[in-house]
Parts: sequence; C-alpha cells; structure tokens
Amino acid sequence: MSVLVLRLAGPLQSWGSSSRFVRRLTEPMPTKSGIIGLLAAAQGRRRVDPIEDLIGLRLAVRGDQQGVLLRDFHTAHHQVTGASMPLSERFYRSDAVNVAFVEGPSEVVEGLADALRDPAYPLYLGRRSCVPEGRIVLAVEHERGTEELVRTLEWQAGRVQKGRHKDEPRIRVAVQADVGVFDGLQPARQLQDVPVSFNPEKRVYATREVIETLVEIRNPAFVESEAPPERPTPAHDPFTAIREAR
Amino acid sequence: MTTYLELHALQSVPPSNLNRDDTGSPKTATYGGVLRARVSSQAWKRAIREDFNARLAPDQVGTRTKQIVELLRDEILTQAPDLAEHADALAIAAFGAVGLKLTKPRGKSDANAELGYLIFFSAQQVRALAAAAIEAAAASDPKKALQERKAKELVNSDHSIDLALFGRMVADVPDLNVDAACQVAHALGVHAVTPEDDYFTAVDDLKEQAQETGAGMIGTVQFNASTFYRYAAVNVEQLQVNLGNPDAVRLALAEFVRSFVESMPSGKQNTFANGTRPEVVLVTVGTGQPTNLVGAFEDPVRPDGGYLKPAAEALATYATDVFGTWRTPDVVFVCGLGKPQQVLAGVPDAEIVPFEELPERAAAASLTGLEAR
Repeated sequence: MSVLVLRLAGPLQSWGSSSRFVRRLTEPMPTKSGIIGLLAAAQGRRRVDPIEDLIGLRLAVRGDQQGVLLRDFHTAHHQVTGASMPLSERFYRSDAVNVAFVEGPSEVVEGLADALRDPAYPLYLGRRSCVPEGRIVLAVEHERGTEELVRTLEWQAGRVQKGRHKDEPRIRVAVQADVGVFDGLQPARQLQDVPVSFNPEKRVYATREVIETLVEIRNPAFVESEAPPERPTPAHDPFTAIREAR
Repeated sequence: MTTYLELHALQSVPPSNLNRDDTGSPKTATYGGVLRARVSSQAWKRAIREDFNARLAPDQVGTRTKQIVELLRDEILTQAPDLAEHADALAIAAFGAVGLKLTKPRGKSDANAELGYLIFFSAQQVRALAAAAIEAAAASDPKKALQERKAKELVNSDHSIDLALFGRMVADVPDLNVDAACQVAHALGVHAVTPEDDYFTAVDDLKEQAQETGAGMIGTVQFNASTFYRYAAVNVEQLQVNLGNPDAVRLALAEFVRSFVESMPSGKQNTFANGTRPEVVLVTVGTGQPTNLVGAFEDPVRPDGGYLKPAAEALATYATDVFGTWRTPDVVFVCGLGKPQQVLAGVPDAEIVPFEELPERAAAASLTGLEAR
C-alpha cells in the first residue's frame, strides 16, 4: 500500500456534499467525491465512465489552513433569449490549504501521481473556476502509512498564516478521515460524498462515515522567544485586605 | 496527456465596480490573509464569450458543407453499424425534424438531397444529432421523438464554435450539455484592497429651475481600484474533439486569446468608464498540470511606485521558479507595455510577441503541440 499526498490550495475551493437547488454550500474540507473527480479527470475518464476502482481508495484530509467562507452571488442569463435564469448563491472557502492523503495499492497510486502530473482534463478544486495553485502532488510515500504521514507531514499553510502562529511550537489542525485510518477512533459523522456515478443524467452518491479529529503537528515557523518578564504585583491588591483581616 | 494553452495577465483597473454582489458592493475574496478585489470567473467569462461571438463568424471556417446528409449518415454508421440500410433515410428525417430544408441538387437525380447554403457543424454537434437520431429510430414516432430531445438545439449552428469552447449546461435536457474546453479562474487582486463608498447626489433639473434647493436623490455607490491577476486555460485536445476541424480549432484559439485580452465586464461602465487592457500578458503552451501563477501574489504585493511594477516582478520571479522546476511549458510568449513586458521577458525562453501576432502565434503553437502528441 502506498499513499499519495496532495496539496489542494488555491484562492477559492468548494466542496459540495448536500446542497439543494440554488444554495450551493461547501464543506470545510475536501470531499471524497471532489478528490475522486479530480483523480478521474486527471486520468482522462469522462463523466459517464465507471469509477468503482477509485472508490476503494482510503482517504484522509488535513486542513492546514482553514480559510474564510466566501459567498458568491451568481446570476445567469440565457444566451439566446436573454431571459434571467435563477439566481444562486454559491459558497467557497477562500485562502484555504488542505492536504489529502489517498491510500491504495502501489501501482494504482503511482498511476494516479503520473496522471496528476500530466492530466487529460483541466483540474479544479470542486468547481471549474477554482484552479489549483502550485504543485498538486507533494509526494508518493511507500513506507509510511496514512496516520503517520498525517501526524508528521510538514505544515503547508501560507506565509501569513504561519506568521500569525510563530509563538506556538505545535499547531492543532483538523483532520477528517475514512474509518480505519486512525485505530481506536470512532466515526463522528456521515457524509454523502462517495461517488457511485458522475453521469450527468443520473448522478448518485453513497454515504460514508468519517472520523473527525484534531492532530498536533510541529510548527516549522516557530520562533523561540524569551519568556515575557513577570508582571509586578499591581499597587492595588484587594486580597491584602482579606489576608490582613484573617 | 493533453496540450494546454494558458493565458496569464496583469491588469490594472481604476476606481470601478466591475462585478457586484446582491448588496451592490464589488466582489472580494481573502487570500494570503488579506482582503482583495475579485471579479468572478463567470463575469469575465461572459465578457470574453460575448466579445468572442461578436467577432466570430462560424462560416469563416472550413468543412462548411451542403452535403450534410452524408456527414450525418457516416456518423450514424459509426455509432450504429446495424442501421446501415436506414442510415440515409434517418439522416434526412433528422434534418427535417430540426427544420433544415434539404433539396435535391439540379441535374443530379441520384445524389442525396443537400442544403441550399453552406453551414458549419462541429464534430460534437454531428455526434449528438446522430445519437439522437439513432434513439429516435427505435421510437414509434421518430419525428416526435427527435423534437422531444430538442434536436433543434443540438444543431444550432450559430453557436457551434462558441459551445465547443465555453460549454453549455441545460438542466432538464442533459443531452444538450457540452463540457467546456476552457477554464477561467476568478480574477484576483494582487494586493490588499479597501472597499470605498462614493456618496452622490442627483439634482432634479426642473426643481432647480423652479429655484427649489435640495438634492433630488442621494445615495452611495461602492467601488474599489485594483491590479488584477487573471488566468485562463484551454484544453486544446478537447477543443479538437469537440470541433473536429483544425481550422476551426485555430480560429477558436486565436479569437479566444484576443477576447481574453480585449474584453471587460460592463458593470457600472458608464459611471466609472474603467475600460482598460492588461499591461502584460503571458501565454504558455505545453503539457502537464495547468499552472495558475496566483501563488506569486499569495503574499500580498506592497506598493513600490504603484502596484504594477512589484506585481510584474513577483510574477516573473515566480514563473521563472515554476517553469524551471516542476512545470516547463514548450512555448512562452510575452506581450505588453514597456517595463512590465521587459520584466516578464526575463522568464527563461520567453519570446516577446507584438499583440497583432499573438493570437495567431498562440493558436499555431497549440496545434503544433497537439500534433506532436
């Protein structure tokens, strides 16, 4: 078994799982359907092609930088008649950096890494307008398992975010994983994001259980600074009155 | 596995409200911990699309043919070889159902009926109509079945090239969906922005003549000014599959490059008259993961004699880094004004190309890349 480590970062990303009608929401972290869609597109599978072999891959996602929720007001007009189509609000996570760990058989994982480096279809993070920034494939690991990688991979946040935490030697990041990645942890939640079919005529998603946990990782931007001087006792200390009275 | 044509641009826009949300404020996004101006992908894509369609005449392109019956019949035979005897009749019926009048050419009694004028059909449209015709053949009333499947929309020849490039989504008739070959990112400011308000009053001319004082109307208009980084990519192989004709592909790519540079969303244009063009455009053609260079601006640009100069420098440094390590394009063209063009020309293997030549050179390079695969 090998693990494919992906860096999913960009100004905007959007991972839907339960949206209805004109209010298109996003999960805080990448969904399995979003990531499988990304991998399938890189391999050149069309929407009508089967994807069963990709569903078996085990997924864990670490939210290195949470980002900010963005609401985009979206209008559309019929190209020929000019009529206004339904208005929609679409949510994105802006300024987020997520790391995805995809575990599977070595040949499959290597094949996916090659496909991502030379994709057949343009890649996007949830929506077509969310173009990824930077290199997507961080590493292909053959020795270490997913849990160890989640706990030890370097923190991928941006420079400004790292600067905000430079006093902390260790950072807590949220992790969402398939059952089985973390021994002993029970699933907290169900997500309907396992793609059975991307066929536009009949899209089907199944449910999976996810473990949600926090993991402490080392902060590479930690700056050892002197301890602040002890604060002197204030001139007015109300407890002296109580102590004297005793 | 495919060739990508990518366009990057730095464009300064003066005080303006190009793209607003439902509260009237210009759209924004947080990136690198800082709030920046944004023009949504859909807004600029629409501006590009309208400019593209205004300029493009599909009948400029080759394989216009009056002999569309043969074209459709061949496609039906490819998709369903068992319909060989009926293919001709099916093709003629299909065109009848979509309202294209076919007539037999004069003097040739044994030839098939043909259309009285030249028409351009993209390969994707022919495939879609053939699929619809094959399904309708199985139905009891083929003509009605074809109408139900909106066969007329399938072969709307006014939009054959535009659909192949920009796509179409029709929720209730998924057969009409076309996957776009292009991908347009949200345009993002390269620096922090402060939303601003313009308090305005409007004078009522007749009241003024009547010597009454006071404004007729008061209000505020939100605006901001920003230097944007814009990005778009075209999947050249998918465009070729959709159009099926190298001349059409070349035309589509060249006009896309031109429209990307020359278009601008029209929001509040009369109020702010903010029409500008990019100061510098970087065009790359190559394989590999399409590369958005917005990472150059994740650390917001600090003003140093304006924002354009440091932005161009940041872009050139980042592009040099990326192109030298994990993604080397085959071709890099730079086009722009004075200093920014000079700075971007420092990217290794970059070639300065004047704008009149840029669309054609970009299209030619993409097709060469495609053939090389």
